[in-house]
Amino acid sequence: MVEKRPHTLINIGGIKIKNPVMTASGTFGYGREFEQLVDLNRLGAIIVKGLSNEPTKGNPPPRITETPCGMLNAIGLENVGISAFIKEKLPFLKTITTPTLVNIYGKKVSEYAELAERIDEIEDISGVEVNISCPNVKQGGVAFGAYPESASEVVRAVRERTSKLLMVKLSPNVTDISEIACRVEAAGADAISLINTITGMAIDIETRRPKLANITGGLSGPAIKPIALRMVWQVAQAVKIPVVGIGGIMTATDALEFLIAGAVAVQIGTANFVNPNATMEIIDGIESYLLERGITRLSDIIGTLDI
Amino acid sequence: MMQQEKVTVLWNEKIGPLYFRIGLSCNAGYSGAKPGQFVMIHFQDQMGPFLRRPFSIHKLISKNDGTKGIELLCKVVGEGTKKLSMCQKGDVLDILGPLGTGFSFTDHYRRIFIVAGGIGVAPMPFLASFLQAKGVETSGCTVFLGGRSKDDLLCEEDFLQLGMKTHMTTDDGSQGDQCLVTHPVEIAAEKKRPDIIYACGPWDMLTCVIHIAEKLNIPCQVSIETMMACGMGACLGCAVASHDEPVRYMHACVDGPVFESNILKI
Repeated sequence: MVEKRPHTLINIGGIKIKNPVMTASGTFGYGREFEQLVDLNRLGAIIVKGLSNEPTKGNPPPRITETPCGMLNAIGLENVGISAFIKEKLPFLKTITTPTLVNIYGKKVSEYAELAERIDEIEDISGVEVNISCPNVKQGGVAFGAYPESASEVVRAVRERTSKLLMVKLSPNVTDISEIACRVEAAGADAISLINTITGMAIDIETRRPKLANITGGLSGPAIKPIALRMVWQVAQAVKIPVVGIGGIMTATDALEFLIAGAVAVQIGTANFVNPNATMEIIDGIESYLLERGITRLSDIIGTLDI
Repeated sequence: MMQQEKVTVLWNEKIGPLYFRIGLSCNAGYSGAKPGQFVMIHFQDQMGPFLRRPFSIHKLISKNDGTKGIELLCKVVGEGTKKLSMCQKGDVLDILGPLGTGFSFTDHYRRIFIVAGGIGVAPMPFLASFLQAKGVETSGCTVFLGGRSKDDLLCEEDFLQLGMKTHMTTDDGSQGDQCLVTHPVEIAAEKKRPDIIYACGPWDMLTCVIHIAEKLNIPCQVSIETMMACGMGACLGCAVASHDEPVRYMHACVDGPVFESNILKI
């Protein structure tokens, strides 16, 4: 007898996503980098590297260092800029069927709005992920995400310019993430993704210099998973819009924890560096978990944490 | 084409207390590899290093029995290389490769200098056999090997077997001349200018080689080492500054690890 494959289709802000496994911005390039290693059409969604209006050259090296069970990065949002993205990167993304979201960041509220407007005109892009949480740029990024009022202002400005899926990526470097999530929801977001990296640092004791040129960087990888899971659980209870879990997910077990905590989907980030095939293994692992337990729909496990 | 695959350790040969050569049986993708390209190794151990580590391809393996793969030359410097040094025949490793932009060659190169400091010699035997396959008269190639001590001078036999000349230096005088490797390079280049210098080694050595090349207007390619997370252009962590004003960042994993020396900021 052929077993019936579980129903994993989810709907986020009107976009149909065939399974809950997405790639996190900044860890999957513009998609094409992984073409030879991953079946891109099997992914739930691709979220491309954070884009700004103008090309951004990023921070000086060293930009990364390894820490126990994780890594610190201070890339500084190096990207080609929205125009070069449309000209050079978008044609490839059009050849795949997986929905693509563009992560955007600006130094001013108006820049977020302009980016949203440009992306709204692109038929093959399903939506935006608003980055108000990058810890490695001096202006913009987490400067907006750290305060309920500025977070809400950015989201309102983007909402006015786009009818596409509007997801907001939150920073964990705040006192009360649920409060920010509620304000972002009220400002018109369709979904919330969390967490971005946790600000951290590392020191070389021989030179007594910081290991990153930027001094501080964002911590990612399994080291942050318990913190991410806790925050996803809190936010999922605080808002009604879909929550997408991010933070140190390496395996299907990790992903399932986030789904049970209340995330409707997950993003795979740093794992892509360590195991480029991680997304495929996680998609298969979630499906096996559901099949083995006779669970026919993915939605039957979302937010089912038994306390 | 880049591939992620599980490969089997064919041999792990110790060379002195710190160095070892490890042979890996790979399915495909490496017959088209270029000298200077590298692989990223995952140690598959919860307690081990989290990120992959880059290793340049030391030699290609192609045996009569059909065994194909790559050989790496490694030095124990940290946790990951220590684990790798303890691998045994039959062990399985997860590798990603071949990656990066390697050394490039133009047909008019006749007089060729290869300069290697310590473990920087790792990609050079592959380069040397590549040059021979390209029809280069190997007697026109000189390999300058430098190290702290005689234990750090590796692969001389590989170059001699190909008919290349070698020149060795050590910091402590335990073998060859007691000086920096760049010293004989400069003297030989001034005496008769080479068509190209290929170099790999510590950054201080490379900057010195680059200065010599600039002074004598010699084309020069250097292989550099940086921290790297993905090895394939996704994380953008391995930024390398260009000499442009304002500075521009290239990436060691895709634009390098081998760069034309005149585009680097030194």
